[in-house]
Amino acid sequence: MKRPGPLLTLLAGLLVGVFMLSLNATTGTKNTSSSSADTTKESPAVTASPTPTGTTPSSSPSPTTAPAPVPDARYAGRTDDDSSAVALTLRDGRAIAYFCDGRAKESWLRGDVNDDGTMRLTGKDGSVLNGTLEDGKQIRGTVDIDGGHHAFTAARTKKPSGLYRATSTVRGAEVDGGWIVLPDGRQVGVLTRDGKPSPAPRLDPRTGAVTVDGQRLTAGPAAP
Amino acid sequence: MTVDPNAVTQDFPSPPPGHRRPHPARYLVPALVACAVAVALGAYGKVHDPSGTAFNLAGFSSTGAVKSWLATAAIFFALVQLVSAFMLYGKLPGPAWSSALHRWSGRAAFLVSVPVAVHCLYAMGYQTYETRVFWHSLLGCFFFGAFSAKMLLLRSERLPGWLLPIVGGLVLTALTIIWLTSALWFFRTFGVTT
Repeated sequence: MKRPGPLLTLLAGLLVGVFMLSLNATTGTKNTSSSSADTTKESPAVTASPTPTGTTPSSSPSPTTAPAPVPDARYAGRTDDDSSAVALTLRDGRAIAYFCDGRAKESWLRGDVNDDGTMRLTGKDGSVLNGTLEDGKQIRGTVDIDGGHHAFTAARTKKPSGLYRATSTVRGAEVDGGWIVLPDGRQVGVLTRDGKPSPAPRLDPRTGAVTVDGQRLTAGPAAP
Repeated sequence: MTVDPNAVTQDFPSPPPGHRRPHPARYLVPALVACAVAVALGAYGKVHDPSGTAFNLAGFSSTGAVKSWLATAAIFFALVQLVSAFMLYGKLPGPAWSSALHRWSGRAAFLVSVPVAVHCLYAMGYQTYETRVFWHSLLGCFFFGAFSAKMLLLRSERLPGWLLPIVGGLVLTALTIIWLTSALWFFRTFGVTT
């Protein structure tokens, strides 16, 4: 006599798993949520919801049809070669972007966002980011930096994920830190001390607190 | 409660080992299924491009909170499992329905853990960038493999008496470490929020 109970249990778990997975895949708009504080008049249906869910694809703004300016939002993601991270913050038709490999290479880029969602941002070091906002959900584009060419995809995200910056003077050294907090909580950051880049210490994304060489700094969300 | 060890309908315990050697398939099939499940989950988590997000439940501030509470529910049921297993083996006094309690608390623990695992694998994937995350990923895959093995072993009647407690203990240990490296970490980092 074989007992069916354990098999049924496994089967039920499998069914639940497959069901949830297909639910995820079909509602799989990556980030329709936009409950971060620095958004937006553009997506009232979404911001009104207190729960940052991915289940409301119908209420996502569709800038492809609307001539309205692009919504204020945060975007974060990685380069296609997985070597670096890119994050962007859009506000009032302007954008600030940060490209960072977490070790030595970094660049801050700024520029305007066109109404059709395209943007060309430039950095002081000559780096250039060309990007396009796709359906208000993600920004795809390329970054040219130090002779390298990196394609990237940055998905729309919400706090505490996003872009952070801290500038200060620690023990006589000019410290400039940039952090990208990815949607899954991972961080990529570079800290420059008097022009010398190094991997950044971990930041508490909720408070912005970070300890640099024994001194506590507060990083703030970077905005254009 | 006394347990007749030879009763066919009884989940626990098995007859004493050695009086008839079970076919090796009794162990091999569950072991192979366990490996296949664990490796498949890990491979999916590694290959699948993490989406970063998945849907959330209403009433919770973040998916992290949902998962932490579901995982805490799973741990609660797992503790019921431990106690009811002791009852089944006669190490603790227990009511007549302790076997039903064991079965259903196990099912509950397993079923609430599934959505959590789906979210982990879909949104985050198999990650190794930190010790905590590495052990969580590894044991998360191990847990579902070991649980599958445990379920399949339950279907065999003649097993060494120590086998089910060992496998059950492994499942419980894995779940506990998974909880410690995720939900407890979440509550300590972000506070006990909903």
